[in-house]
Amino acid sequence: MPAAAMAEAYRYTFAAMASRHELHAWAPDRAQADAAARAAIADVLRIEAKYTRYRDTSVTSAINRNAGGDEVAIDAETVALLRYADRCHALSEGRFDLTSGVLRQAWDFKRRPPRLPTDVEIAALLERVGWPRVEWDEHSIRLPRAGMELDFGGIGKEYAADRAAAILREHGIVHALVNLAGDVRVIGTRPDGRPWRVGIQHPREPASVVATVEVIDGAVATSGDYERYFEVDGRRYCHLLDARTGRPVAHWQSVSVVADLATLAGSYATLAMLFAADAPTFLAGQGAHYLAIATDGTMAGNMPFSRGTS
Amino acid sequence: MRLPLKAGAAAPDGEAATDPPRISERSAALIAAALALPGILPSHAHAQTAPDEGVVALRYLDYRDWQPGARRMTVRNPSLYALVPLGSSFAVEGSVIYDAMSGASPLYHDTLSGASGLGVTDYRTAGDARLTKYIDGNALAFGVAGSYERDYKSRAASFEWRRASADRNTTFAVGVAATRDSIDSANGVARNQHRETYDFLLGVTQVLSSDSLVESSLTWSDGRGYYSDPYKLLDTRPDRRRIFAWLTRYNRYLPGPDATLRVAYRYLDDSFGDRSHMVEASWVQTLPRGFTLTPTLRYYTQGAANFYRDPPFPEGSVQGEPYTADTRLSAYGAITAGMRLAKSFPGGVTADVAFTFYRQRAGWRAGGGGSSGLLEFSARWIEFGLEKRF
Amino acid sequence: MAFPLGILAILGVASVAAGCATVDPPKPWEKGDLARPSMRFDAEPLAARATTHVYQSKEGAAGGGAVGGGGCGCN
Repeated sequence: MPAAAMAEAYRYTFAAMASRHELHAWAPDRAQADAAARAAIADVLRIEAKYTRYRDTSVTSAINRNAGGDEVAIDAETVALLRYADRCHALSEGRFDLTSGVLRQAWDFKRRPPRLPTDVEIAALLERVGWPRVEWDEHSIRLPRAGMELDFGGIGKEYAADRAAAILREHGIVHALVNLAGDVRVIGTRPDGRPWRVGIQHPREPASVVATVEVIDGAVATSGDYERYFEVDGRRYCHLLDARTGRPVAHWQSVSVVADLATLAGSYATLAMLFAADAPTFLAGQGAHYLAIATDGTMAGNMPFSRGTS
Repeated sequence: MRLPLKAGAAAPDGEAATDPPRISERSAALIAAALALPGILPSHAHAQTAPDEGVVALRYLDYRDWQPGARRMTVRNPSLYALVPLGSSFAVEGSVIYDAMSGASPLYHDTLSGASGLGVTDYRTAGDARLTKYIDGNALAFGVAGSYERDYKSRAASFEWRRASADRNTTFAVGVAATRDSIDSANGVARNQHRETYDFLLGVTQVLSSDSLVESSLTWSDGRGYYSDPYKLLDTRPDRRRIFAWLTRYNRYLPGPDATLRVAYRYLDDSFGDRSHMVEASWVQTLPRGFTLTPTLRYYTQGAANFYRDPPFPEGSVQGEPYTADTRLSAYGAITAGMRLAKSFPGGVTADVAFTFYRQRAGWRAGGGGSSGLLEFSARWIEFGLEKRF
Repeated sequence: MAFPLGILAILGVASVAAGCATVDPPKPWEKGDLARPSMRFDAEPLAARATTHVYQSKEGAAGGGAVGGGGCGCN
């Protein structure tokens, strides 16, 4: 307790993966906090550089470039991520698919005015989707058909949050909070022993909080239909696409999950969105704690969240 | 009787003493400055005639507070102000202030989880604008103001009429304002709450001699709605607040030391019960090479609100009755000491830096009777400012 | 509450305005010193706003001097 009383909060914000992120670390002095934060942030940036689609030098670009050609050698970290993605694919019964990124060519969320793709277009793209077809093992990976792509966007950020937390711990930080664009991972409690208070953003009112969760040594992740979307004829089409159909899901406005790791929380949240009406069954089956807000505004969940001082 | 002064003598940008003394129009405009009413929406635009100069000013404030052994709060606050004369009978002015981590409403949440990755730092943006029309020794000003934070939004509109006597030595002012605030606390305790306030001001400014003037104003404020602090446990405040304030300011120039003495006294009575007195004095000392040094001292003493209770939480209090443990409504005295250094440059530019130190202590309350069980509160702020007249 | 004091204040100020013996209003050509920025009540708009906001958020009393400035979340 005496050590914690002397500790101060150091807050760091930085930009990566086209978003703003923040890191709060409690340390007895600035030097220690700076060193820990610098290392953690460096690793987040490293992960971004390694798995982003937007850089030719990334592992993802190397794999995608060789689609339909030679196999590409991969390291232990990439293998671990692939294994994890494989598990998500199985758990989601195919809804989540690391190769479904090509569908973005049909669903352009930046286009004005927005345009719905035709069935023919989606069908054509779906021929290039199919995680079970990917050839991979502990040493290398090969996409069997030209035009196939891997997209780590669905798991990269959460993994980076867990890595950042681990690095902070390695540097002796025992009270910390990492928030990578809404995916939160905390270490320990707040220095006064209280749990960290994480607010769940209201899916339709960005400046409001719809619920509060208290977390110790865990993670909170939220997946929502408001991150990237367009609306046509009063219907919302969001960026979460069911890889089996090539079309967006539309049952929940958002799903927030509390778990031990950000990677887990993030995947459960994304998968829950993809499961649509079956999300509660899926999440209960996983023993996950969640809060889901349906498109009509009703809430479902089993998360111990609070709305105020009660 | 004095000889006509050099027209530029008082201007800090060192206007040449050889400018022809166009006394009548220039002094009329400048004197109007001295007689203009002060305040939160002060106006470089003066009571009788439209200003002949525009102004752009930038300011940066770095604020930090602390209590013994307890956390620090920091606020960084850049702001911008501009005044633009429009023709000979209109002037428009406005300002914008941006607060990162707005003062007293503490961050309830440590962070936010959401799909679009919004941060949680509390920000406040506030701005105001005012349009003044000058006709025949009258100034009519219409103003709007707004403040926006995640959990608090405020909008206000005001109207003020100032009129000078024939000899311009006396100015009367009447002002009204209406404010509407919306409160939606981050923790959900205050949902969709509102507050409406109406203010009324009466004031007079009187030139006492060629070197001194005094201004006195009375303000009445009547507000209804939500006043509680949703972040403080069980904080319940009356839903009506009436405030009466009497502010008197006196400025006197002393030719000997080439300095100005500024003194102010404010008495404030509040239906919440926290009656207060404030007295402040500054000494604006002109130095060579366009420098000005201004030390300031301020003393403030306040009684506790009727519904303030010393910590710890009082036994036997009834839920729903007004109660607060907010130390800002306790009984205490506070002292401020500050120093400002300004330098004027050619071209109507002025730069300044100021350092202020502030401390509140229950034991400093005038006449004793300060609230018990409270820690001393301290703050310091540093300001950097730049202004250009054109 | 406010009224007896208010009336007293108005009377006091009005008598000052009426130009009682202690007042020696200057002629227009004697008003040079009054034009100094240090003699004006409104010379520092931004500094006044910033300082007022600090006091408003740290002290219970707020008001006096002008109307229409709007509020903030700091009570």
